[in-house]
Amino acid sequence: MPVLTLQRSYKYIMYATKQPSLRIKQADLKCKSGCGFFGNADWEGYCSQCYRNHTDSERQKKSHQGGSSDHSKAQVSGFSKFEEKKRQQTDKKTRYMKSLPVFRKTSNVKDVGRPENLVDIMRQANPEANKLMAEFIAQYSQYGEGIRKDFLKCSQAFSNKIVKELDVKPMEDLAEIAQNYYNQYQNRVNSNPTYQNVPNDVKDRLVEFFENFTMISLYNFLFCPPTTNDEEKDLTIQGRIRKLSWVNAHHLDCCISETSIEVRDLVYTAINDLLGMDSMRAPQEKLACVVKCCRSVVEVLQHCQGGPVSADEFLPALIFVVLKANPARLKSNILYVTRFCKESRLMQGEAGYYFTNLCCAVSFIENLTAESLNMPEQEFEAYMSGEVTCVSAWESALVACEGMHQLREHLALLKGLSERTQIVQNTTKSLWEDMQKLKEGICESVDSVLERTPLIIKPRTSPLALTREQLLAQAAARTAPNPPEPEPEPAPRNFYLKNLSFGHLSAFETPKSKLQLDISPCIALKPSHSGDQLSSPAIDKTPGSLTPDDNSFLGLSKVNYDIDLSDLSTENSAADELTPDKRKSPTPSVDPFSPVGGSCPVAQPPLEPSRGEFVLPFLVEETLIDKSELTPAASLPPPLVPSAPEYSGFSKQGSRIPSIPCSTGDYSSLTSSPGHSNA
Amino acid sequence: MSAGPYNYSYIFKYIIIGDMGVGKSCLLHQFTEKKFMADCPHTIGVEFGTRIIEVSGQKIKLQIWDTAGQERFRAVTRSYYRGAAGALMVYDITRRSTYNHLSSWLTDTRNLTNPSTVIFLIGNKCDLEGQRDVTYEEASKFAEENGLMFVEASAKTGDNVEEAFLETAKKIYQSIQDGRLDLNAAESGVQHKPSQPGRNPLSNDQQANKDNCAC
Ligand SMILES: Nc1nc2c(ncn2[C@@H]2O[C@H](COP(=O)(O)OP(=O)(O)OP(=O)(O)O)[C@@H](O)[C@H]2O)c(=O)[nH]1
Ligand SMILES: [Mg+2]
Repeated sequence: MPVLTLQRSYKYIMYATKQPSLRIKQADLKCKSGCGFFGNADWEGYCSQCYRNHTDSERQKKSHQGGSSDHSKAQVSGFSKFEEKKRQQTDKKTRYMKSLPVFRKTSNVKDVGRPENLVDIMRQANPEANKLMAEFIAQYSQYGEGIRKDFLKCSQAFSNKIVKELDVKPMEDLAEIAQNYYNQYQNRVNSNPTYQNVPNDVKDRLVEFFENFTMISLYNFLFCPPTTNDEEKDLTIQGRIRKLSWVNAHHLDCCISETSIEVRDLVYTAINDLLGMDSMRAPQEKLACVVKCCRSVVEVLQHCQGGPVSADEFLPALIFVVLKANPARLKSNILYVTRFCKESRLMQGEAGYYFTNLCCAVSFIENLTAESLNMPEQEFEAYMSGEVTCVSAWESALVACEGMHQLREHLALLKGLSERTQIVQNTTKSLWEDMQKLKEGICESVDSVLERTPLIIKPRTSPLALTREQLLAQAAARTAPNPPEPEPEPAPRNFYLKNLSFGHLSAFETPKSKLQLDISPCIALKPSHSGDQLSSPAIDKTPGSLTPDDNSFLGLSKVNYDIDLSDLSTENSAADELTPDKRKSPTPSVDPFSPVGGSCPVAQPPLEPSRGEFVLPFLVEETLIDKSELTPAASLPPPLVPSAPEYSGFSKQGSRIPSIPCSTGDYSSLTSSPGHSNA
Repeated sequence: MSAGPYNYSYIFKYIIIGDMGVGKSCLLHQFTEKKFMADCPHTIGVEFGTRIIEVSGQKIKLQIWDTAGQERFRAVTRSYYRGAAGALMVYDITRRSTYNHLSSWLTDTRNLTNPSTVIFLIGNKCDLEGQRDVTYEEASKFAEENGLMFVEASAKTGDNVEEAFLETAKKIYQSIQDGRLDLNAAESGVQHKPSQPGRNPLSNDQQANKDNCAC
């Protein structure tokens, strides 16, 4: 900030001028005692040190005179009014406290009762302070455990003291206590042997940290405390700034161009910086927000003027920003920083300079008149009373700019959406290509298989020729102790192929019936698909019990891989005992009229010696389970039935996997989901 | 100010949220000042207001934060959600877009407040029946689906304004008594202030402290 020179001669004090003025001399920012430090309205224009000396002597004078003071007459105009009000408030408060024993009592209950406990509770409920403590340990533990202990001891003593005095002493006294503790700790860090190994820059940080930590812990007590009327002041200035919303840059004689988008964005940055102040807790953090805001204001001015900024232009611009920002709890924040920020920081340097400017801006806003804005009295009154409403350029541009702002945001949103759509499109395209390739691949392999295995259609008489006795005999032979593998006899194979030729097996279901050749007759029996193409003896024997139900077909094809022709007689019982669970399973897409070859690549494995290799993973499991049960008795359908409900294939479950709703608040759908297994 | 310090036993923190121009500031003004502010400038960042009300014989101070609807202040306003005991979510019954944005306001609220925060939906400007763009049924269905309390109000006539603020307070007070809202938890949005002896059955340790006190 080279443009704003801080060192200037001073002769008189802004706080004593008759009119709140936009143009103040740099010296006006300084302590009116002439000590060279920055003054502050809350210190009656003194710097904090001179203010203290001043009040001390005032107090002495007062007690000497016996109470009522009229020293305010020495003060002039706006500022004295402010000061008078303040004193009245203090008086009121003291009177109030004295006249209300109940209040005293309750306040003592709260604070004197068990201060240590209270401090603990307050820390517990203050995650930020805890976080800071962790940070402290991380940063300073390297210099020895003693530092942490000493730090805690000092901060604890400080907190306890403040909490104890909270409702008994006015805020100004608490501020003094705080400043004393800061200084004590600083001296301690510089002289106590515990800290001798700590480098100097770390010492400074430690002192700062002390202030930060204690203030964040005590924030709820010291910021806008209910014992003061800080909140009332906040509401007053908030209302006043709202009433002054018609004030524009022109009134303030300031060069901010309210309608330029770039300027507005910069002004908004400054506004947002200032608004951030209320969310911060430590005085330093709040002060940092003010500094940030003021730097942004300088940037705005640089942008508007295209050159260096003079200090004269700074204050009006800052006033403009404060008016447009209407920061929440403005007075509370300023008072809090004034009281509890380490004095030295406010009395000098960039932060001190900017903070003093902010205080000036606020006191200007509190006291401004028609004259300070260079406008006729009537006009000013009309605006203030709301008689004349004028939508300022800023206000209307605000609406327009909000429109633009939203437009831009929506455009960005749309761009994001269209990018995502593009991605989806691309993925869809590649998926389509993949599918195309898959289709071609399947056709190719089907063709090659068709070439390798020419289709032979034999007359359909052979199954009919088998009598029930023959089938039973075969079954007996197969369920003998030998592994339940089909004998590679040519006859069953032919039989199998023959049945296949009627197309009752599709690629989909063959893996399930893979193990046994003998299953095919069962499938062939299924009336809904086979129709009357095939009339098997089994149908003739059990006409009533075989319902035209897909489930019987599916169930068997899934479960009964080891079924014999001999089982045909009891096949109906299996069908009857199928649980409803089975019935819900999706019907496999069976195309009775597809060429047999279509299913050959998959249908063939059962015929090969190494039939396992085409088995799908989930079917392997199934096979294992059932194989273990494959005792001679188990090969009969009824014992197989219980295994049927246990198994539920992937494809089946897939349709029942609960969809988790996006709405986070809705748990009802989640709690009901476990029920799906019973469905 | 007639209300001295500790003239109340609780402080409840509220936020008012919703799109730009739905009448949040007017609702607050109507509630605190009982006046309609016809030409209210747009809120920048946040403003606040207070009023002391009474629920079940307890004096409660409402500290109400009126946030800016403008998108560009969202970063600032979001920092005020934390620790709100009540959230008044406002839309304008004459502008459908403000209703359509409710779900995003609700998401924000749910994400940034604690689960015990009471959310109250207000359909404002119900004096402008002729320009209605959102039916009562539709909004109340939305409220029901999302477990919100709902009322249509007018900051201009004052209809239902009082009710909305008071009902929210009652609900919060109810949660305190049910123990759903933990007063000691950080950011509960409720502060307990000591009041006349024997009038706060809710806080036992405070009671105990009182007994210890000699003065
Ligand atoms: N007719 C009618 N007009 C209303 C009502 N409430 C608000 N308005 C008008 O709506 C406009 C916007 O109201 P505000 O209270 O400023 O809106 P807001 O929600 O605070 O807007 P932001 O501060 O920008 O977020 C003002 O011009 C009001 O006069 C109402 O109940 N009835
Ligand atoms: Mg507003």
